[in-house]
Amino acid sequence: MLVKLAWRNLWRQKRRTILTASALALALILSLVMRCIQEGSYSANIENIARLSTGLIQLQHPEFKESQSIDDLLSAEPSFIDFARQVSTVETVLPRIESFALAASGDKSKGILVLGIDPQPEDDYSSLSRKVISGSYFGDPNNKSDKPQVLIAEGLAQQLNLKAGDELVLYGQGYRGQTAAGLFIIQGIVHFPMPQLNNQLVYMPLEAAQRLYSTGDLVTSWVLHTDSLADVEQAVSALKNHYTQAVNVRDWLDLSPDLAQQILMDRSSGLILMYLLYGIVGFGLFATLLMMTLERQREFAVMLATGLLRIKLLKLICIESAFIALLGIIIGLLISFPILIWLLFNPITLTGETAQLMLEMGYDPVIPVLLAPQLFINQIVVVLALLALCLIYPLRRLYKIDLVCALKGGAHAA
Amino acid sequence: MSIKLEQLCKIYNADTDFPVHAVNHLDLEIKQGEFVAVMGPSGSGKTTLLNMLGGIDTPTSGKVLIDGNNILQLHDKQLIAFRRDNIGFIFQDYSLLPVLTALENVEFVMQLQGHSEQECRKRATDLLIRVGLAEHLHKRPAKLSGGQQQRVAVARALAPSPKFVMADEPTANLDAKSTAELLDIMQQLNEQEGTTFIFSTHDPRVISRAKRVIVFEDGLKKEDTVQTEVSQ
Ligand SMILES: Nc1ncnc2c1ncn2[C@@H]1O[C@H](COP(=O)(O)OP(=O)(O)OP(=O)(O)O)[C@@H](O)[C@H]1O
Ligand SMILES: [Mg+2]
Repeated sequence: MLVKLAWRNLWRQKRRTILTASALALALILSLVMRCIQEGSYSANIENIARLSTGLIQLQHPEFKESQSIDDLLSAEPSFIDFARQVSTVETVLPRIESFALAASGDKSKGILVLGIDPQPEDDYSSLSRKVISGSYFGDPNNKSDKPQVLIAEGLAQQLNLKAGDELVLYGQGYRGQTAAGLFIIQGIVHFPMPQLNNQLVYMPLEAAQRLYSTGDLVTSWVLHTDSLADVEQAVSALKNHYTQAVNVRDWLDLSPDLAQQILMDRSSGLILMYLLYGIVGFGLFATLLMMTLERQREFAVMLATGLLRIKLLKLICIESAFIALLGIIIGLLISFPILIWLLFNPITLTGETAQLMLEMGYDPVIPVLLAPQLFINQIVVVLALLALCLIYPLRRLYKIDLVCALKGGAHAA
Repeated sequence: MSIKLEQLCKIYNADTDFPVHAVNHLDLEIKQGEFVAVMGPSGSGKTTLLNMLGGIDTPTSGKVLIDGNNILQLHDKQLIAFRRDNIGFIFQDYSLLPVLTALENVEFVMQLQGHSEQECRKRATDLLIRVGLAEHLHKRPAKLSGGQQQRVAVARALAPSPKFVMADEPTANLDAKSTAELLDIMQQLNEQEGTTFIFSTHDPRVISRAKRVIVFEDGLKKEDTVQTEVSQ
């Protein structure tokens, strides 16, 4: 009966109910679409940067993060990495050797970063071969040289005045203090979109790197990628569980702290905007709820006089306001859903410098939307919390309503 | 079942220089089955008296004894339950819930008592038929005339089978014909079911139908007469 009464009461002030619900709906639509775009662009960024360099998860020797030393290595044996490959959400597993060396050519030399990679899977993962601007990628059948091959980044090539086919000498420190030195032939030049890395990256096949640093069957890191960003957390905990203290399992937050920081700040500015929006709508909701209780003092008094318990009266108002909120949520979801679906298939296209940069990295210059249930649930929770907040004062007044004054129709009855 | 007032006082603005004695040391007893009209000039304290009788308003001092129990000692929740089960209210402006039909308005108060849906439906229908609204069960108040609305209000007041019905100027907004019809109904219910009616009024037509008339002035009982000749 209370529910029926509440539902009918809602339509006594049709326009007001619809306006209030629409305001809620509008706030929900705006914040939901904004948040889905925001989170979509974050996950695209994270995904892009992961593919470009760090991966979403890395397994490293516990000391490696601090030492960056070629002495702190992990096994490259299948038996070691099999567990990671078997985690159902892990889609890519790549071995890497990452260390420093001095590159010399003619009278020039420069500190560089060596990346030893497994050419084919690495290319599948990061499309490295598409970044080759001259020469060719590893495994080119035309290359007959017996010297080990490297790809060097464009900026580095310019600084050292090198081109594809030239030779390059690398010196460094190898495993357990051994000397690392080798003569390499430049198979190709790659354009690397991150300027800092573009000035110091040297790629070589994993075996070449293992030979250069005398590491044997060891790697500095295993780079992992999950089906989706949302799977990272679970995969990390499964990996931590299995490898325990012997391996440092690092997620992208740990691997790219700057990116994590940047996302955190951007996200909080988005959230502030969202709360501001809801704050404004909240005033409207509050006014409606207050009016709803104040203008019906006499009616409430009659109901109380005829035997309705105060608590039931409060319940009635709660149900009525819940209907308004629900209406807002439903309208909001009904409208934002098609918008989001449309955006999912027709993502916002970027232009200008950012677009250029993304194209260079080999990605579509678009902002995808992320449709995560959590984002929807969050909006609903916010609306309901807002409702609860707006209800406190009207309910308090209603609870203290003075029957005699209210029966006389006094506005100050509560 | 009886209502007994002992030294009942209601003083408004007690702590100012001009306290208003809306009800002033009133002693009064009303027995089951009475049909009482409280009359008096505007501001004489009729509404205040009825509110205190019905447990809506709290007196400044004195007692309201119902079957010897002082209702002022009841807790808020007990008082509401007491009112719900023992006292029916009829208001000058009908005060029906606008979103409920005539039938639902009557059912609603019965449901508050915890009767089953069927019981409510049956009794509400019966009552509405008795007040002559068989044709209008499913109309909302806005679609009913004032007289019809007040008859719904009478049915609503009677639905929980109260011992007393308090009616504050129930006919003030009704024309002569509706007033007569309403009084017929109330009188019938009084005679057939023994429901006690207590109403305040200025209306001579109502006074002429009352069995007992209490004249009220400045919070004091001026006259209390039992009319043997009740006009029909
Ligand atoms: N809340 C209040 N505060 C102060 N004085 C009040 C209040 N309510 C009523 N009074 C005073 O108490 C007296 C009695 O009021 P009451 O409403 O009982 O009169 P009444 O007989 O019902 O009048 P009417 O016939 O106009 O309805 C009046 O003098 C009124 O001014
Ligand atoms: Mg009055």
